[in-house]
Amino acid sequence: MKKNKRASMSDAQKFSLVRREAIYTGLALCGLIIFWLIAGFGTASSDVKIFHLPLWAVLGSIGVWLVAILISAILSKVLFKDVDLGGDDDD
Amino acid sequence: MTEGNLSALVPLIFFMAVMVGISIFVRHKQAGKNFVSNYFIGNRELGGFVLAMTTVATYSSVSSFVGGPGMAFQVGFGWIYMAVVQVTAIFLVLGIFGKRVALLARKLNAVTVVDIIRARFQSDFLAAIAAFVIVLFFCGTMTAQFVGGAKLFAAVTGYSYEAGLILFGLTVVIYTSIGGFRAVALTDTCCAIMMMIGIVLLLKYVLQAGGGYENIMTTLETKNPELFEPFSFGNMPWTIYFTQWLLVGICTIALPQSVVRGISYKNAQGLHQAMLIGTVVVGFMNIGINFTGILAHGVLPGTAADYGGVDNIIPTAIVMAMPIELVGLAIIGPLSASISTISGLLIVASSAIIKDVYLHWANKNNHVVTAARIRFLSMAATAIIGAAVFVIALTPPSLIWLINMFAFGGLETAFFWTLLLGLFWKRANKLGALLSMTGGTIIYCATQAAGFKIFNLHQITIGITCSLILFLIGSYLGKRSDDETLKIFFP
Repeated sequence: MKKNKRASMSDAQKFSLVRREAIYTGLALCGLIIFWLIAGFGTASSDVKIFHLPLWAVLGSIGVWLVAILISAILSKVLFKDVDLGGDDDD
Repeated sequence: MTEGNLSALVPLIFFMAVMVGISIFVRHKQAGKNFVSNYFIGNRELGGFVLAMTTVATYSSVSSFVGGPGMAFQVGFGWIYMAVVQVTAIFLVLGIFGKRVALLARKLNAVTVVDIIRARFQSDFLAAIAAFVIVLFFCGTMTAQFVGGAKLFAAVTGYSYEAGLILFGLTVVIYTSIGGFRAVALTDTCCAIMMMIGIVLLLKYVLQAGGGYENIMTTLETKNPELFEPFSFGNMPWTIYFTQWLLVGICTIALPQSVVRGISYKNAQGLHQAMLIGTVVVGFMNIGINFTGILAHGVLPGTAADYGGVDNIIPTAIVMAMPIELVGLAIIGPLSASISTISGLLIVASSAIIKDVYLHWANKNNHVVTAARIRFLSMAATAIIGAAVFVIALTPPSLIWLINMFAFGGLETAFFWTLLLGLFWKRANKLGALLSMTGGTIIYCATQAAGFKIFNLHQITIGITCSLILFLIGSYLGKRSDDETLKIFFP
């Protein structure tokens, strides 16, 4: 059923969907840049330490990585839709 | 060959033999299929995991494993904070270009990024320039990989630079020539796994040799407070953060070696998986190896200069922290970063010459090219480009890391707007793309040659800005693309 639905999409619908997904990705990038700024420079004056590391170093490295994983998961599992790419090699 | 550590050499030789074995197996399995599609994009059969690994492995170069962590040793956590911007690289390129390029490639029967550029802008001249830019800058990047890998090999194993170059340099040229893209993707996957194993091993032994995490960090807090400050007491100016976002973050989406992966995967589910897996892996590698670079202070109490500069930190840490029988295994990680980048670039450079220039010329002039001839020429082109870079690397040019970054910036200047605006903006046209690619690249190269900078920012900022301005000027002054083309690209 799902396969039929994606196969029945017109070219215009596919390209419109892909364009929307690209915009979501661009917005996700903006979000990550803002998080990166706040997590690192934004907390640089804090004296809090986690495992001997200053808060900015933890949030600015592992924190940014985890948020990037979360973003990728939301993009790929929620916002991105399955689409028949065409050709005979798309199962 | 000079006297070296034989136990370090054996795992390396075994690993290289496996790489060649994979390519022979791939070649055997794919006999009889469409050669060009098979050789240059693996017949669009990549699944999610392999797509993620090959994209990450091609993107992560030897400098990520040697120069980067050496800098982290010197400037501290600010370097990790800067390097972590690379976690965007995989979800950005696959999220923005992945599906669009896949749809277009199937529609146009395109095998290369240049095929898509040619079809979008209806210009053989632009396609020829694009192919030229790819080959030119790729040769620079590949040379840096060869030199970096061979220097690392010599420092860790005790054998000569030339021996290292012959061992892994010739191996990568051979397996790429034989197996083509599919072999590159599979060997890249092995390489990415070995990179992660190498990082974990090195981290474990560096911690052990330094007396444990607590001990290393307590000493660092007292002796090297600059490592815990984002600007590292002036060693990490804001300009580095800014340009790195462009150079190794946002603009990497247009690197042809990354975009071509959008042509090579099987279906949308594979792409979705690859976005997630790739982001996990690239972050693990970046944070893991740079953190190891900082912790290497526990093994190397002096400054980077005491060990011959930042490039020698990781090789020295490997030698000093790892048991001799594991040195060979540890060095496979960084060398994997080197060979996976070389193989990824080599196959795209070869496709630029054979598919984008030669076959297009032959088709246009109604020259019949037999399948056997295409096969021979494709393999020969791959081998010749690889051999040429190998020869250049035998007498390594100085400032090799600068050449690497120069090439990165050049490719981004040439392709960023041409691909981004070309694929997402109807008004984008041939004149805009021509001005942007040629003008932007020339301006970028000229500012690099003159050492001209604005606000002390890397010249990528000038290149990418000029490239955009020229693209917009050309697009508003030039003729719109014809309706037939627009119907294909914007149905």
